[in-house]
Amino acid sequence: MGAPELLQFALAGLKNGSIYALVALGFTIVYASTGVINFAQGEFVMLGGMLSVWAYADLGLPLPLAGLVGVLATACVGIVFELLAIRPRKDGDPLALIIITVGGSMLLSSLARHAFGPTERALPRFSEGSIQILGASLERQSLWIMGIAAIAVGVLSLMYSRTRFGKAMRACAIDRNAARLVGIDPKWMVTVSFALAAALGGLAGLVTTPLTQTAFNVGPSFGVKGFAAAILGGLGNPFAAVVGGLVLGMLESLSVAFISSTYKDAISLVVLLLMLFVRPQGLLGRGKREKV
Amino acid sequence: MKRRILRVCVAAALLATTVLTGCSSGDPESSGTDEGAQGEAIRIGAVLSLTGSYAGLGAPEKNAIDLEVARINDAGGVNGRPIEVLIEDDATDAAAAQAAVTKLVDQEGVVAILGATGTGQTMGMRADIERAQVPQVSMAGGSVITDEFSKWVFQTPWPNRLVVPFTAAYLEGLGVTKIALLSDSGGYGADGIAVTKAMLGDFGIEVVAEETYNAGDADMTAQLTKIRGAGAETIWMWGAGSEAATVLQNWNDLTGTELKRDDGIPDIIGAPGNARVELIDGAGEAANGFEFSAGRILLPESYGEDSEAFDVATDFITRYEAEYGSKPDIFAGHAYDALNIVVEALQRMPEGDIDPVALRDEIEATTGFVGIGGTFTFLPDDHNGLTENDLVMYRIVDGEWTLAEEAQ
Repeated sequence: MGAPELLQFALAGLKNGSIYALVALGFTIVYASTGVINFAQGEFVMLGGMLSVWAYADLGLPLPLAGLVGVLATACVGIVFELLAIRPRKDGDPLALIIITVGGSMLLSSLARHAFGPTERALPRFSEGSIQILGASLERQSLWIMGIAAIAVGVLSLMYSRTRFGKAMRACAIDRNAARLVGIDPKWMVTVSFALAAALGGLAGLVTTPLTQTAFNVGPSFGVKGFAAAILGGLGNPFAAVVGGLVLGMLESLSVAFISSTYKDAISLVVLLLMLFVRPQGLLGRGKREKV
Repeated sequence: MKRRILRVCVAAALLATTVLTGCSSGDPESSGTDEGAQGEAIRIGAVLSLTGSYAGLGAPEKNAIDLEVARINDAGGVNGRPIEVLIEDDATDAAAAQAAVTKLVDQEGVVAILGATGTGQTMGMRADIERAQVPQVSMAGGSVITDEFSKWVFQTPWPNRLVVPFTAAYLEGLGVTKIALLSDSGGYGADGIAVTKAMLGDFGIEVVAEETYNAGDADMTAQLTKIRGAGAETIWMWGAGSEAATVLQNWNDLTGTELKRDDGIPDIIGAPGNARVELIDGAGEAANGFEFSAGRILLPESYGEDSEAFDVATDFITRYEAEYGSKPDIFAGHAYDALNIVVEALQRMPEGDIDPVALRDEIEATTGFVGIGGTFTFLPDDHNGLTENDLVMYRIVDGEWTLAEEAQ
């Protein structure tokens, strides 16, 4: 295997990894404010793609505007989902909330099936063609995916570490009641986190649809990969989510290169399980210190 | 605490009521009118994937059935009796398909079952079909459906044991000796790969690389990179979903050739599952030069313009387009064939009560039925009834289907 081929495998891993990272970031945002895994995150990715296609192909809007409509509409769905399904569960019992998100994901994909039909839909690429790097090739659309993942992680990290708002969100996850005592409204924080997670999921759907097409039933596969990436990196930290995504993408690509594509998902799953045994907090996560 | 338990109980009770009423009101959707035909309707059951991952196949199948039932009843029905097709959704789930058969046969008293849409669902119904002794005409393409022979089960699409020798002979004719296989790890790809590997021995073609991908995978560049290093002259792809369009895009990005070479050998060759406009929409420019085998419905002139098949196909296409605003795809054609094979058999039977066992014998006696997928002649040991003559090789040129033989 020559150097250009190895580089090509690495680029394929990076490209897939950036997609996983974008989805994983959405898991991280909701987890950071509620301590809950939102299993409807994959559906936000599906909706971002579907609503953008709807705005582009059915409403005839220009692509940038259609993308904006798609992402904002997905954010609105996130808000409505939170207000109707998450907020009424006042005690914030994580198990109940997780089950609610599972139900919500089924509802969203069924609604999309009826609203947009059963077949897959396509979106044109933002930039055509590909670039050549030392004998390997990478489509320009992948640069969009990688760039958006990089910007998203940068913005989120800054938000959590520098802004009052980001710190308030984290405070809610650590202790709802204590956060309330210092004047933070946890209900409002959770709504915002769902809006952000949905918008980010929508963005992921928007940038990947030109490469993969989208359909009402793509949500779960995005969700599973993003969830695995978030766990691998360590939940609750945007930087860890991106690292998790990239590591997962690389693992899959190298499995194809050196072992077999038949086993690529099995290999990533085994690595994920090992990680859960050895370092349950993920690659970059900090262990939870329970104080007595 | 007590109040909480009470609340849970109330919620559970409410849920149970909705589920129960949901079941009792869940009558199958019925497609049938009694205009033009009098008498008690002949009931036929259909199990289609209207939701779940095969919803894109089930929807055109339902359209075709609705359209044909209306046409048949307007023309007087079968021996003066209207037909009624009761459609059940299996949600692309084998267990649901099985439950649907039980319901249709035991509660609705249907004389035949159309479907299922998918191979897994069709096979999931097998035990109940044999127990109930009702003929079944499947619209799924898996070879296993008629290879694991049952006297009750018929099949309208071209099974892979016809597609494989047709495609292999085509490749051999182009002088191809080394190929790579790339397949969806799901049922369609697995069946295709198994049949391909079993039958390639008869042709002078060697498999130099074999890769798979999973439904929902976003990028196959890694697999294609590996295949590229193996020295294959062409990639034989077995995959029906949107991933096929991703493969074409990835290959185009990787090689930049847009699948056009001077030697007339396609870079990637597919299967009837790729006969979908969504593939062209999804892959765009990258679809150019892609070839796949399928029946003649995509270009009706390939039937031969003076033939009966041409008239049958153009009539169906015209009516379908007028009703639904889009051209029928191969799946609509499979449903047309399944329904009309049963209706033709019913028409040959004497008036009076329909016995499913006698109907099965009559379906098996189908000879030279000109449908959309081809001309069907069933035999006691051939319940598919098509031949390689019913297939043609297509090439996508500038986003349109063309005949590969003419393009050369």
